[in-house]
Amino acid sequence: MVNYLIFILVVAGVYALLAQSLTLSWGLTGLVNLGLVGFFAIGAYASAMTTKWAGWPIPLGIAFSILVGLGVGFLVTISTLRLRDDYLAIVTLGFAEVVRLVASNEIWLTGGTDGIAGVPSIVPRAWGPNYHITMLVIVTSLAITVHLLLNHLASSPWGRALRAVREDQVVAAVAGKPVVLLKAQAFSIAAAIAALAGAIYGHYTSYVAPEIYQPLITIYVFLAVTAGGVGRPLGALIGSYLLIGFLELTRFMAEVVPGVTPVQAAATREIMVGLALILLLRLRPDGLLPERNQRAPKPVAVHPKGTTS
Amino acid sequence: MSLIIHRRQLLAGAAAGTALLAAPAIVRAQAGPIRIGTLTPLTGSGGQYGPGMANVVKAVADEVNAAGGVLGRQIQVISEDDQTNAEAGVRAARKLIDVDKVTAIMGTWASAVTTAVAPLCWESKTFLFTVSGADSITQLPHNGWLVRTQPNTTLQGRKFAEFCLEVSGGKRAFFMMPQTPFTQSTFNNFKIAYDKVGGATELLIYDDKKPSLRTEVDQAMRYNADCIFVGGYLTDTTVLMRDLFRAGYKGKVVGPGYSINQKLVDNVGQPEATEGAYGMLPSPQEGSAGWKKVADLTKQASPDPFACQIYDHVNLALMAMAQGKDATGQGIRDNVRKVSQGGGDKVDNAVDGLKAIVAGKKVDYDGASGPCDFTDLGDISEVKFRYEQVKAGKMALVRIA
Repeated sequence: MVNYLIFILVVAGVYALLAQSLTLSWGLTGLVNLGLVGFFAIGAYASAMTTKWAGWPIPLGIAFSILVGLGVGFLVTISTLRLRDDYLAIVTLGFAEVVRLVASNEIWLTGGTDGIAGVPSIVPRAWGPNYHITMLVIVTSLAITVHLLLNHLASSPWGRALRAVREDQVVAAVAGKPVVLLKAQAFSIAAAIAALAGAIYGHYTSYVAPEIYQPLITIYVFLAVTAGGVGRPLGALIGSYLLIGFLELTRFMAEVVPGVTPVQAAATREIMVGLALILLLRLRPDGLLPERNQRAPKPVAVHPKGTTS
Repeated sequence: MSLIIHRRQLLAGAAAGTALLAAPAIVRAQAGPIRIGTLTPLTGSGGQYGPGMANVVKAVADEVNAAGGVLGRQIQVISEDDQTNAEAGVRAARKLIDVDKVTAIMGTWASAVTTAVAPLCWESKTFLFTVSGADSITQLPHNGWLVRTQPNTTLQGRKFAEFCLEVSGGKRAFFMMPQTPFTQSTFNNFKIAYDKVGGATELLIYDDKKPSLRTEVDQAMRYNADCIFVGGYLTDTTVLMRDLFRAGYKGKVVGPGYSINQKLVDNVGQPEATEGAYGMLPSPQEGSAGWKKVADLTKQASPDPFACQIYDHVNLALMAMAQGKDATGQGIRDNVRKVSQGGGDKVDNAVDGLKAIVAGKKVDYDGASGPCDFTDLGDISEVKFRYEQVKAGKMALVRIA
């Protein structure tokens, strides 16, 4: 039971990282990124390929996956510069599918649908329960670090400019904000965070394959961010833990109901997830922790003429 | 209307949730029944096979329980959903292993799920039975902690090719299959058989999620094949058969029996479109008791191969634990080959097998999916195929060999 709980917390930590990524691109900048799982996959592959096949040390592999995430995120931004809202969403969704199809079919590069089994782990798996506990510490501290950094960015002038772009990019441009640059920065950093999550998850479960990276994961992360609060990093963090907790809880709730077949139990779980989302959106449309408006800075004290401060 | 949640209420809620999560564990922690787990796709793209598979295991456990259980203990089946997704599958497997403490997990279907779940199983000494076909699975460093009942692709590719050559009488085959972990290796072995007789064959990998496969079919038509091998699953094969019919293809069609079957005929809905197509799949001898039993349990005239395979999984797991007098994963690992092969009383179900084992006899299980003899790596070593053809909208047996 303890192992299971620790495992769930590690997975939730990975989701928390993904949720931070989505908060930056969607919550703060307004770029709907339905291709989140694509960046997750790219990070996993970048680190798995370099550490398993090229024999790189793991920290280097993870750093490489962050770089690749940054680069691919930048490519996706500049190729979608003229797209907004729904159009951007469709293109990013397509991007994730492209990643999955390339990973399945370019066998020489990625190992194809067999995937990469036996990806080296960050600490030895032979440690047994301690392996999971160490990973929990690593993943949780990463999630918290990324969260704190993002919080810092969100409350900086740069974060304010991102929100301005989100609210109305024309107005932001008129106000002299470099809209394209801001979008590219936010999207690339978000992609890098997702890639980091992918690398960590790949090393933790020791297996990377195209079939893992399905749109289901993107949808779960959107759920987590919606539940926690769009545009508030802390909301996304808490939302992820609540989501994974809830998904696992439905497993036990469905089991307690007497007389249901396994299929009905599986369907019941999906119903519960859907119902929870509807209730949440009905009762807390802005999520559990809604975004807070930043207070305008206090006006600078006006000094009487002739004095200097 | 806005509902304000205070921090304390939120905390209280979270605490209550955690308590709920922990509560079943207390109930579960008592010693008593032997627990086995199924991890089949109840939702997702494997969703049409998984539910039947879970039911078969439950039904077998009920029968064994009615006959007194195993080693004097009752069998409890816990069924989880892998959602045909490796990430969800791993979470479900963790729950089966750590919370339910199952001795075996059976029925993992998608190769990606199996490969992701396998390390969890061998690390926690839980035995894994799978129906996944990818060659790479038994090559994992599993140390004997998994077996599979699906024949590997080397054998299947050759058998497919031999049958295509036979029914078409020609030497040009077009091979259509979605990208899966076994596509390339099945085709390679298919090609070897065609090359041997101086024939020609070409591979086309298609996207199984497309709603129309017309361009792919046009490509097949251009190849002028006398036989088309369709290697997908039921959903995409349905699309493919319709498009082949619309394109006016007149040659032979051969495919695996899990997609060329009565369900396909019904799904396509146009009898002419599927008429004459051949399906083939690993099979026991005609009229084997195991096959009939699964047909009964699943209420299908011709049960799908995965239901048959998981029927064998649960029977083998229960008999192996009885044989070793050890109701753990270790017990299954050390004894599964003692009850599956090597001569002795032929049995085809766990109830008879358990009686024989208690009476001190050596048993040799022949199941619903085949003789179930395993190599050291965990592959099945010998298998017969069942060949069927659609005749007047019904599946008709051609032969078993």
